Amino acid sequence: MTSASTNDIEFRSVAKRYGSVTAVSDINLAVPQGAFVALLGPSGCGKTTCLRMIGGFEQPSEGMVYIGGQPMNGVPAYRRPVNMVFQQYALFPHLDVEQNVAYGLKQMRPRAATAEIVRRTQEALEMVRLGGFGKRRIHEMSGGQQQRVALARAIVNKPKVLLLDEPLAALDKKLRTAMQIELQSLQRELGITFLLVTHDQEEALSMSDLVCVMSTGRVVQMGPPQEIYDRPASLFVADFVGKTNRIAATIEPGAGSVRLANGVGLSKPARANGTVGAAMVAVRPEAISLVRNGTATLQGTVTHRMFLGSTVEYSVEVEGLGDFLVTADRRNESELAEPGERIGLNFDPNAMHVFPA
Amino acid sequence: MTKWYRDNAPITADRLADELMRLKRGSVTRRHFLGVTGLGLATAVLARQPGLFNSTAFAEELGTQMSIATWPNYHDPATFEAFTAATGVAVEVNVFGSNEEMLAKLQAGGTGWDLFVPTNYTISTYVKLGLIDELDMAKLPKYDASTENPRFTNEGIVDGKTYAVPKNWGTTGIAVNSSKIKTPVASWKDFFEVAMTEADGRTMVHDYQLTTIGNALVSLGFSFNSVKPEELAKAEELLIKVKPHLYAINSDYQPAMRATDAWMTMCWTNDGAQLNRDMPEIKFVLGKDGGEIWSDFYAIPNSAANKAAGYALLNYLMAPENAVKEHIANGAPTTDSRVMKLLPAEVTSNKIVYPDEAALTPLEFGAAVTLTDPGRAELMARFKAA
Amino acid sequence: MRAAMNTKRNLVTAALVAPAAAWLTVFLVLPFIAMLVFAFGERAPEGGYQVAFTFAQFANLPTRAAAFWNTLLLAPTGALLCLIVAYPVAYYLAVKANPRYRLILVSLVVVPFWTSLLVRTYAWMYILGSRGIPNLLSMIGIEDVRMLNTPGAVLLGIVYGYLPLMIMPIYVSLERLDRRLLEASADLGAKPVSTFFGVTLPLSLPGVMTGVALVTILLLGEYLIPQLLGGGKVFFIGNALVDLFLQSRNWPFGSAIAVTLVAVVVVVLMVAMRIAWRVAGTRQVDLV
Repeated sequence: MTSASTNDIEFRSVAKRYGSVTAVSDINLAVPQGAFVALLGPSGCGKTTCLRMIGGFEQPSEGMVYIGGQPMNGVPAYRRPVNMVFQQYALFPHLDVEQNVAYGLKQMRPRAATAEIVRRTQEALEMVRLGGFGKRRIHEMSGGQQQRVALARAIVNKPKVLLLDEPLAALDKKLRTAMQIELQSLQRELGITFLLVTHDQEEALSMSDLVCVMSTGRVVQMGPPQEIYDRPASLFVADFVGKTNRIAATIEPGAGSVRLANGVGLSKPARANGTVGAAMVAVRPEAISLVRNGTATLQGTVTHRMFLGSTVEYSVEVEGLGDFLVTADRRNESELAEPGERIGLNFDPNAMHVFPA
Repeated sequence: MTKWYRDNAPITADRLADELMRLKRGSVTRRHFLGVTGLGLATAVLARQPGLFNSTAFAEELGTQMSIATWPNYHDPATFEAFTAATGVAVEVNVFGSNEEMLAKLQAGGTGWDLFVPTNYTISTYVKLGLIDELDMAKLPKYDASTENPRFTNEGIVDGKTYAVPKNWGTTGIAVNSSKIKTPVASWKDFFEVAMTEADGRTMVHDYQLTTIGNALVSLGFSFNSVKPEELAKAEELLIKVKPHLYAINSDYQPAMRATDAWMTMCWTNDGAQLNRDMPEIKFVLGKDGGEIWSDFYAIPNSAANKAAGYALLNYLMAPENAVKEHIANGAPTTDSRVMKLLPAEVTSNKIVYPDEAALTPLEFGAAVTLTDPGRAELMARFKAA
Repeated sequence: MRAAMNTKRNLVTAALVAPAAAWLTVFLVLPFIAMLVFAFGERAPEGGYQVAFTFAQFANLPTRAAAFWNTLLLAPTGALLCLIVAYPVAYYLAVKANPRYRLILVSLVVVPFWTSLLVRTYAWMYILGSRGIPNLLSMIGIEDVRMLNTPGAVLLGIVYGYLPLMIMPIYVSLERLDRRLLEASADLGAKPVSTFFGVTLPLSLPGVMTGVALVTILLLGEYLIPQLLGGGKVFFIGNALVDLFLQSRNWPFGSAIAVTLVAVVVVVLMVAMRIAWRVAGTRQVDLV
């Protein structure tokens, strides 16, 4: 674990229980200064609880939470150097856009000069490209605009860390993509740490420098997006982050091979550790290619074809192993197939991730 | 018992609870209630269950239900229970604090009263307005005009026709708690002076134009019944001057006097007798400068729904053996020599109930004109609203 | 086709509205018209109404100025006192109380309301009367304290009697308050007191306005509490009306006062609605 001083946020053995229900346990987490970190996991995995413990809306039952190296246990939300963009924004409906954004500035003690408040409010609004919308009422703003107001409101106080709780969940896909880019550039511009909670793996992978995958109240893997995608630490991560094909297999000892459930033997991938016995093998759909000659690893029948624009997804039924998902590049004509067609599946054994069953 | 319920407290915890429960059910017999609201909103249904010995034929003729409008604490509830037992007719009792209220209700219509108790000075107006009919004396065999004191019966007779028969007579005097007020109070002049000094904040006047205005007039040396604008103006001046010193404007003064919330009040004979009986320190005095002598009557509204029952109850109440119980219970003097004979000596010798004739001399009967005089009505309303 | 459908829809609407309309016509509109007619008439010699056309009744209104002032002063004062007592209670119920017991606590507020106001006010007559608090005070040597039949007793009765009517709308508006707004406020650095005045209070204003308007309007017509706890001395318009109709039988003047009171109520209501709507207008939160 790195020293607290270079980490904006640090969790040390944090657990949170509600009565007999454990929300999170044994969380050790370090968010480096200036990073864009995503807390990724399915709903109920405890990621929001972690965020709320940083925000100060929950107190850990065990362990310590540090912000900027300072212990935060017992410190109320209003004394923490972090700000949050709430899920569904939680904008103040009785205030206009400007007043919403200025709200945090007006809480400063000693009081900030009015001119200073006005200046910083306008600055924040400009930053989210809402200059000129200051006098609008909240209910007059669209969902995307409200999202920007929430952002402006949260950054106006120049927090050490900006917490984002599923900030894009309520937006449609196109707007979401646009906002993802905007958030990234905003983060670079501000140079502050962003901690994003999301259940959308695509969002997590595309925006963040570091992804922290959580499951059932624990951190299961943390690393750069590529590492998470390419080297999932567990079958859960492989499954949750990106699409994957799961194949039941047996790992034979020694230099031996990976014996798939249908009896096909493959050489063991280079990074597979000493796992022996029953295992699960995960292969990404894009690692599989469709071939029409006899040298294919597996043979199957195309059952469905899904046209996705630049790529095409096939569902291929392989006897004894079930359905395989295969992503093919549309430009690669040899890979185009028709439903009902017999076809070979080929993949590099090194593309396999082997996990104990 | 704690001090709470000690000395002279007529209401026990149980009774208070019981009373509240009755209030809750909307059936109240106690005077506090209707007098206080000034509306006569609530009514009491006494002895709803038919009696054990009633004859079916009789009950059919009389119905099962009747209603009487009367004054607070003016009857022995046992009387109505006995009547119900004898006839099967349940009696609903509506209680009022002023004749004006009764008149207002009858004028508005739809009262449902089969019998009511107007005071002497109102009868001629009721006749004039056609609100009551001549009584059918054949239906009142228990009434005997020859045993009645004509001083108290004559106003029931208009143009030689009997419209109302007397219930009892009485006076309007001053009840004063002698343990709280040491200044002697012997006149209405004294009353209003003490009200602003020793009894400041502890004096009650009636919510009733006749007595409140009348006694103010008397204290100023005018007639109890005056409707002269200049005299009324002086009375109004006095009343408005006294008002900030009053405890309440309310014809329901017994609870406040008993609780010693109020120490002095305008008071009718029967209430004076009751208060003095239970709390001897409460004295009842007649103004030596004047005041009211009155008689109350029974009459049947011509809008009565169950006249037969009205007559039956009236006849029942006219029977001396029944009337005597009423008189012992409510403490008002009788107009009927037959009843007088039956009354125990401690009642007939009670100077509150039967004062010396000399004390009655300065008193005046209420005059019919006061009931309808707009000047007096408006004065009273202005005084209350001031 | 479309016309037929419209006709049908109109019939359904008519059928739905008819009972209420009939009710209002018979029990509100017609009496009000009668009252208007009476207000320009004269008192008959023996009381009641006789046909005339005069403004005399309205000219006589100044004689009830004290009752109007009492009412116009004590009704809002009572409503404000009610508000001061009710707000913390509503706040506790909606925000602080354990949700498990909230329903029970809310019923405790509402249950007394099921008992007649008359009975509850009557009980205060005993509590404030000589056998009540003054008796307790006399035990510690403070003699002859008079509480009943004072403006203070009337205000106390008003606050007590109308408290649930004030608590409920405030409770509802506080209960609907989005808790995340409070978190957002704290997140932005607002201490609890600032959060209360910056977020909670402004957002509960519609409930506050509803409560204040409701209580004020009902108080403008109040007569029972002043009669019972004010000893007939603390006079409201309602008491003046009772007197005019049930004692002096001056229907025309009573009607004139009633018409004036209705006009006052309408004005108060319009002002209150305008303020409430302005505040409530900002509540339209686009949550999605």
